[in-house]
Amino acid sequence: MSTYVYGFAPATHPMPIDGLTGVGAERAPVRLIREDGLVAVVSDAPEGLRAKRRDLEAHERVLESLCAAGTVMPMRFGMVASDDATVQAELTSKAEKYADLLAKLNDHVELNVKGVHDEDALLGDLLQRHAELRERNDALRAVGGGDEQDRIAFGEQVSAAVEERRVQEAKRLVAQLESHATRVRLGPSVEGCFVNASFLVANSDREAFDAAVTALRDAANGYADVRVFGPLPPYSFVEVDGADEADG
Amino acid sequence: MSVMTTGGSGGSAAGALYDVIELILDRGLVIDVFVRVSLVGIEVLTIDARVVVASIDTYLRFAEKCGRLDLTGGRQPMGLPDLVGAVTGGGAERQVKGALPGPREAIAETLEGLATPDKTSDR
Repeated sequence: MSTYVYGFAPATHPMPIDGLTGVGAERAPVRLIREDGLVAVVSDAPEGLRAKRRDLEAHERVLESLCAAGTVMPMRFGMVASDDATVQAELTSKAEKYADLLAKLNDHVELNVKGVHDEDALLGDLLQRHAELRERNDALRAVGGGDEQDRIAFGEQVSAAVEERRVQEAKRLVAQLESHATRVRLGPSVEGCFVNASFLVANSDREAFDAAVTALRDAANGYADVRVFGPLPPYSFVEVDGADEADG
Repeated sequence: MSVMTTGGSGGSAAGALYDVIELILDRGLVIDVFVRVSLVGIEVLTIDARVVVASIDTYLRFAEKCGRLDLTGGRQPMGLPDLVGAVTGGGAERQVKGALPGPREAIAETLEGLATPDKTSDR
């Protein structure tokens, strides 16, 4: 029997784990391992656990329940220690670093923002602003679309303009919101989204952050869809040895 | 699930999970001495940005879409607003208000390797 690990928290976390169940077909009960002023949230994992959607849900559900009650550093999904002693050893070996990180996360939530362009609106706007694209489009229309070579070449030009716009607007979105956040980290690129950004927001800043998102969404109405997800366990802000800058 | 989503259809637990699945799978703390459990058949919509190359299909699709767009009558320019000004070229001028307290790190020229230094809390 291995030990599935959900996250670490300070020993002072109230840990309302009564009745909380975790991963696995048997939904093992969540339990705690305490060491060095820290507490690890774990459950028994059967050998050879192969995770499914329900396990992802369990992982997230456990973390969200506990984040509602206090600060928790979430594990990436799927972290399994060979036994409890291994978890204890990990807590001991980095006790100070984990305590520091938890202190920084205290009283903050992660809010994840994703933006998706309405493709027709975006293309229409690009054609409007870039005369050379518009003229080329008109020329192709005049000959009923043109041959495939011409269409590919034109499409490649459009694609470059789309990419430029996506980068530009990702920066704009981040710029609009980051003043209301303690930290920002770009998420992994997600298909169809021009931006995927996570913000570590102090509870006292949440109203201002939400207002800024609303303003952004209103300004982008009909052109882009801006969505906020959260509050989330702070997945994006748990690096211990310096920011993981290569990601995103 | 208590994840709240705004501005979209979010509501079901499965839907909410899927919206942030890339964070649950690719972010979070990784402990070297722990083992990573393998996943069974979970579709993930993340793409490695470094190898994204728009395909010929994409070019043809763009060309086709542009060809079909009705551009008669003109349109209002659209776009996300700049921080210190109206919507770029936009007809509906909007000032997005918001003070910028304290020093901020400048955004890197490219989005790759965007550093996220901790900001001093001066609020």
